[in-house]
Amino acid sequence: MKLFPPFFTACLLGHLVHADPVSFSKDLAPILLTKCQSCHGPKKAKGKYRVDTYARAVSKGAGDHPGFTPRNLDESEVYYRLTTDDKDERMPSEGDPLTGEQIALFKRWIQEGSKFDGEKDASLASIIPPPVHPKSPERYPSRIPIQALAYGADGAELFVGGYHEITVWNPKDGELLRRIGNVGQRVYAIDLSPDGRLMAVACGAPGLYGEVRVMDTANGKLLDVLARTPDVALDARFSPDGAKLATASTDGRIRVFEKHEQAWEIFRKFANHSDWVNAVAWSSDGKRLASASRDKTAKVFDLESGKRIVTFSGHSGSVNGVAFHPDGKQVYSTSEDKLLALWKIEDGKKIRDVYRFGAGAHKILSHGESLFISSNDKIAYEYSLKEGRQQHQFTGHEDWTLSIAFDSLNKRVASSGFNGRIHIWNHPDAKAIHSFFALPGFSSVDSANN
Amino acid sequence: MKIIYPVLYLFVFSLICDGKPSVSFNHEVLPILSKQGCSQGSCHGSPHGKGHFRLSLRAFDPSLDSHTIFREELGRRINPIEPEKSLLLLKPTMAISHEGGERLKPDGFAYKLLREWIREGCPTPEEESQCIKLEITPGESKLLKWPDFSLQLSARATFSDGSSRDVTRLSVFTTSDENVAVVDASGKVSGNNRGQVAILVRYLEQVQSIHITLSRKPEGFTWKAPPPVNYIDEKVYAKLRLLHYPPSPLISDATFLRRIHLDLTGLLPKAEVVRDFLSNETPDKRSQLIESLLDSPDYAKYWARKWGDLLRLSRKQVGEGAVYKFADWLERSIATNQPYDDFARDLLTAKGSSLLNPEANFIRTTINAEDAMESTSQLFLGSRIQCAKCHNHPFERWTQDNYYGLTAFFARTKTKKLGKSGETFIWNAKEGEVRHPVTGTHLPPWVPDSGAFEMPPNKDRRQVFAEWLTKPGNPFFARVEVNRIWAALMGVGIVEPFDDFRDTNPPSNEPLLEALSRDFVKSGFDRRHLIRIIVNSNVYQTSGESNEFNRDDTRFFSFRQPRRLEAEQLVDALGQVTGKPMKFHGVPVSVKAVHLPAPDLLKRNRSMIGDVEFLKVFGQPERQTVCSCERAGDAGLGQALQLFNGKLFHGMLTAGDSLFRKSLSAGKTLPDIVENLHLSALSRFPNEKEQAIALTYLEKATDKGKALEDLCWAILNRNEFLFNH
Repeated sequence: MKLFPPFFTACLLGHLVHADPVSFSKDLAPILLTKCQSCHGPKKAKGKYRVDTYARAVSKGAGDHPGFTPRNLDESEVYYRLTTDDKDERMPSEGDPLTGEQIALFKRWIQEGSKFDGEKDASLASIIPPPVHPKSPERYPSRIPIQALAYGADGAELFVGGYHEITVWNPKDGELLRRIGNVGQRVYAIDLSPDGRLMAVACGAPGLYGEVRVMDTANGKLLDVLARTPDVALDARFSPDGAKLATASTDGRIRVFEKHEQAWEIFRKFANHSDWVNAVAWSSDGKRLASASRDKTAKVFDLESGKRIVTFSGHSGSVNGVAFHPDGKQVYSTSEDKLLALWKIEDGKKIRDVYRFGAGAHKILSHGESLFISSNDKIAYEYSLKEGRQQHQFTGHEDWTLSIAFDSLNKRVASSGFNGRIHIWNHPDAKAIHSFFALPGFSSVDSANN
Repeated sequence: MKIIYPVLYLFVFSLICDGKPSVSFNHEVLPILSKQGCSQGSCHGSPHGKGHFRLSLRAFDPSLDSHTIFREELGRRINPIEPEKSLLLLKPTMAISHEGGERLKPDGFAYKLLREWIREGCPTPEEESQCIKLEITPGESKLLKWPDFSLQLSARATFSDGSSRDVTRLSVFTTSDENVAVVDASGKVSGNNRGQVAILVRYLEQVQSIHITLSRKPEGFTWKAPPPVNYIDEKVYAKLRLLHYPPSPLISDATFLRRIHLDLTGLLPKAEVVRDFLSNETPDKRSQLIESLLDSPDYAKYWARKWGDLLRLSRKQVGEGAVYKFADWLERSIATNQPYDDFARDLLTAKGSSLLNPEANFIRTTINAEDAMESTSQLFLGSRIQCAKCHNHPFERWTQDNYYGLTAFFARTKTKKLGKSGETFIWNAKEGEVRHPVTGTHLPPWVPDSGAFEMPPNKDRRQVFAEWLTKPGNPFFARVEVNRIWAALMGVGIVEPFDDFRDTNPPSNEPLLEALSRDFVKSGFDRRHLIRIIVNSNVYQTSGESNEFNRDDTRFFSFRQPRRLEAEQLVDALGQVTGKPMKFHGVPVSVKAVHLPAPDLLKRNRSMIGDVEFLKVFGQPERQTVCSCERAGDAGLGQALQLFNGKLFHGMLTAGDSLFRKSLSAGKTLPDIVENLHLSALSRFPNEKEQAIALTYLEKATDKGKALEDLCWAILNRNEFLFNH
């Protein structure tokens, strides 16, 4: 007991002096990702040095020393570059240098042994712990485009993409029911699982990060964060049996996850597109996936073999939406070039241009024998596969129509627009029921106009 | 990290937004994007943009830009809820890596402007007034005397709704010569050295330039100059005195003789001519020589070749039959001293068969109306308008509309190939308009100083254009030819390059150019008169050696800028000295290189490749464009090798019947031969040292012929021979 005070003091001091060890994934990976990866990454590797994975970051580039040598500052090239006075060698080579605190983190990490427990070849974006997103503004001071929309299972709730949140509205009267936070800055897709219990949200902040969040529909609890990429995620779709989840991202990759109890594990990854993947769609038997990309093609993949089956080339603009024909042998696609096209899987040829919109068209929502498509020509369309023609038009939007949802139970169609408004119509007579700004607290009177 | 939006903020915010946005997209945002370099041609203003982000070049298409920034890719570039998180701001401040580098500073004026615009929801009202005028203060040309070498410029814009505002911070400032002065983003000019500079100020489509002269008297400087002979000397000396560049001394007879021959006829004077001139004691022998040269056919042929270069006179361009006819036509025009306005009118309005009307070959070489206009513009307006074909000109007031408006004059000119010998028929159709490539509207004919033109119906448009061009008050026409002739004689134009007149490239001596132009017009566009008055001046007859005070003058004519002999001049000079002139296919044996009608007279001349190679290596133009830049002026390894032991040169030196070998077998003495060599190559007698070296070498040699080859080779490799100095 005599030792207690000094022992206690020593512990206390020790605790104060030895703060938590520096974490590669929490502390350093974000810096490397935003400040270094664009010149030292998969696209461009100046000096033959890359930082996009831990394994690469601690390797040598063209120089004599590896990026980081445990406990050896002199032989850690990165540390030398961050601190040298030589203007030509100083990193980052453009823009402001790292702050003193940031450099100190690197220094301490090297001195502590440059350890990392995670997957050594995983991308930086995926090892950085998922952020807890900030709270959304109480009141939206400005309009934002709404490109994600989904009806709840019974049609009593309308899930709308917001700013760092999903807002849930009563479609009957436009009343805000609840707000589900801890979501990425912008929401690009919302998909409910077939049983309605889970919600997949493709989101992100342009140029900064992207992810797909799986959440509990009823209470908004975050269950998993998947498909983390350096830029936004654009689509997320549950398979018809709800056991798998396919995601589409700006890194050109399609990721398919499989449910294992509460978690989702990666099942397949397709890296065939050379530009953003805008949308994915499942065949009705859940065995195949179709994708739409900004590289102006659509593709079909077989999940079992993990192979690409066919590529459809012919659109003259970004392909924004895709859907299987119920027979599983043909694929529909929509594009910036204003067309709805039909393709044959067997030979990859275009069967014909089915319809021409007034402007570019977005994702396809297929439901039974209909395709629901929104277009920048301010109209939401229903195309009937049975009749083989465009059947209904839902008008009233004053700005681009960005996404569309269908409530088969109550026979309603909802659509969101670039100006933040939601319109609801009766189906099939397209009678306008209701429209409102899906922006909490926003009033068009005292806010900025365009 | 929590976002807290106090109710107070929203309250204040709602007070501000009472309808009219505080930041103007057209008047503030677009100029900022231009000024910070975002929309320049090497970045997002390039045809495909960068990183999938494409702006119109320097904001010449505001509606495209507002769409791209606000709507494209579902508005991912702007964030009206948290403006600082907009990609439009994160990237240029390097918060996210940006290949374009740091373009904005978060505490800077530009950043705050853009942020506010985004916060307001990126308003782009339809009805915004146009900027109709840009005024720079100080407005007139300025003279800055050392040590007061700095000047603050400010810019004020006036709009079509009557309002005006200071746009200094929104304008782009550039300098025409960094060596003389630099200008920073706030419009502050800082002088570096004495000289002249044009500062260009650009705001939206308005472009203005301010001419600044910087004067600094060097230590120990005293002004000394010979008495002026004519107004050229007066004007040049006035400028030199202001800038403290004393002129170098006047040249000797020998130097004058060589120089004037090369400049007027392209040929070196023969040895006998040199002897005669140097021993002649007449006081005004120089003026007399000038007259006799101007009267000689060699002058006409040589200066016709200069025009041949500009008018794309080649067998490839005008066809087999017309090559000689067109060359003849040009020669006759110069020989008869056809007035320049006549000459221009003939070329511009020519019709009919290209064989019967050789002057029609100018139009024949143009591919279409646009090409005809571009060539006409560069040749007769001195303006390289090509840039304005696709967007507004970056350095000048030309807009894309102007480009097509000018083209409208040539829209009705039609050509048709008739088959034999490349004969082409040129005529004017009754209809034909120019469409703007983007809007598709017809553009009426337009000219630079008067604007849109009222076209009298049924009149030949080219005729109308030619009349406008050659009318007495036209500010463009006379100056271009004056400058062209000046540049040919002096080596450097008053405007340099000589076919690149623009506000941002001012004449090095405006009073001189003005005086010469007025004189030229008054004389009835008499080219011989112009040449005469130039070569009789002191300024022309000044030495090519600089002194300690005028050493760095490259523009103001204090001393002659030496230039290497042109390719054809060199070939002829070598031929004359060695007595073995180069032979050309397609012309009589006696025709010199400087008189060749075209560079490609022989259809398949691969077997002649050794000879053709020499001319090409020394910069002979192919005559594919009307640009003066086609004749390459720079030095190269190829040239050094040709003079070292090239096939052509070697052949001339070692020929059994070369001039000096013939003299040797005819029994001439060595001193005689040495003297002749010097007179022929250098247009002067050898001095004692040169004689001693040469004779010692020759006397020692057993094979006198070979020794003479060596001596000849040595003389012909001297700069004094290779340069027009």
